[in-house]
Amino acid sequence: MIALENFSVNLGQFYLKNINIRVAKGEIFAILGATGAGKTVILEALAGLYTAENGAIYIDQQNVSNTLPEERNLGYVHQDYSLFPHLSVYQNIEFGLKIKKIPKTERLNKVKDISHVLGIEHLLSRYPRTLSGGEQQRTALARALVMNPKILLMDEPFSALDCNTKERMYDMINMIHERYGCTIIFVTHDLHEAKRLADRVAVIQNGELKMICSSCEIQNKDLL
Amino acid sequence: MKSPQKHVYLFDILANLTAVLVMLFILVALSSIVVKGFPYIGEAFLSEEVRFAVKLSLYTSSVSTLVCLLLAIPTAYAVTKTSLPFKRFFEIIIELPLSLPHIVLGLCLLLIFSSDFGTFLKAHDFKVIFEVNGIISAHIFINLPFVIRIIKTAFMGVDSRLEFAARTLGASKFKMFWRVTLPLSKNAVIGAMILAWSRALGEFGGALMVAGITRMKTETLTANVYLNMATGDVGQALASATILLIISLISLLLFNAFNKQTGESRVKNPMLY
Repeated sequence: MIALENFSVNLGQFYLKNINIRVAKGEIFAILGATGAGKTVILEALAGLYTAENGAIYIDQQNVSNTLPEERNLGYVHQDYSLFPHLSVYQNIEFGLKIKKIPKTERLNKVKDISHVLGIEHLLSRYPRTLSGGEQQRTALARALVMNPKILLMDEPFSALDCNTKERMYDMINMIHERYGCTIIFVTHDLHEAKRLADRVAVIQNGELKMICSSCEIQNKDLL
Repeated sequence: MKSPQKHVYLFDILANLTAVLVMLFILVALSSIVVKGFPYIGEAFLSEEVRFAVKLSLYTSSVSTLVCLLLAIPTAYAVTKTSLPFKRFFEIIIELPLSLPHIVLGLCLLLIFSSDFGTFLKAHDFKVIFEVNGIISAHIFINLPFVIRIIKTAFMGVDSRLEFAARTLGASKFKMFWRVTLPLSKNAVIGAMILAWSRALGEFGGALMVAGITRMKTETLTANVYLNMATGDVGQALASATILLIISLISLLLFNAFNKQTGESRVKNPMLY
């Protein structure tokens, strides 16, 4: 379980105020809001980028507010995918495993497995700049999932994709969720996306939590 | 396929004309040294003094460049990627020598190494004044701010989201720097290294203040040019200047080769604009 309790972050020009969110283990949870509402700040705070001004973050009942990002065991998929441009797709996926000093053969097997699941085996020798948006996203997902994270955080993961690719990626996220059983928290500004994928949705406005409800209940007027 | 319409702009013509004039002026000035100095090059290489000057120049430039890099990389990282207090103050002080004449910087070093600190170093067998160490110290002091500036700009250009991605994948700050920030700044670091090396090779004023010019002791190629001109041996001076020019040309070509990727314009066809 993940919990943000009375969590506040002061970034000078932006203030995230008193956020209270609890996400159950295995849940798909959406953070919904307009641009600049503070959705990404919540996600980045969960990943350990910011120090809390007030409140705390709990993962499995443990206070991780002061835990370094590299020690949180969270998978993070950035909005622009943030693939390392100087590394091939294989090396990108292998990056975290190499940091953890996993033996070479094991690394190879893990990279092959995850790239097979996500259908990017044929891209392993390519470099990020030669990939399409959808391919980049699957690579970023593979890079995060190969570390076997308890929680997968995704920042506007579908915003740069066309409608057809989006639909395929929604199915892929559901497949990943079933297969790996990880908790997924994603940020979006798209109500349809939140309803389509999430179990529950938190609505953020101007750095404040407006409401949390089931994705079936949420309506357009809740975003106003 | 319809080809883009080509326009002829007066501003473009004037700019191109200026560029041609500037290029011709530099080419003629440098060629005059090469044309007059080239016949003396064979003779110069037979001279033990010139060979000593070449070796000393290559040695002092290489050592100072290495030290500059070792100091510049962590400093550039500190001012761009950490929460160092009074960062702006640090940057101003570090960049201050860039706007000062080399001879003034040499004078600063002369004062430092003539003080109790210099006496302390001398007592511990590290002599600087009128020694090769003085040349290296001057090169470092003059080039360090320049190298820091180039590397700092490169580090600032590395997307912080990539560094954060590395952290979320388990990399400590050092591993993040080693595997993401530094490889992505590789071209700039190599470019800074080559430029610092060629600048050190051509440095004269700062080293003169600290190490003086003693034949076959602190005589670099630039010092050799100066000494030969002072004694009226113009041919030897031109030969040494030509050797310097050739070394500088090679280092500049290397610099351009390493920076080709980053220096290229993103606009593929400027005629369209």
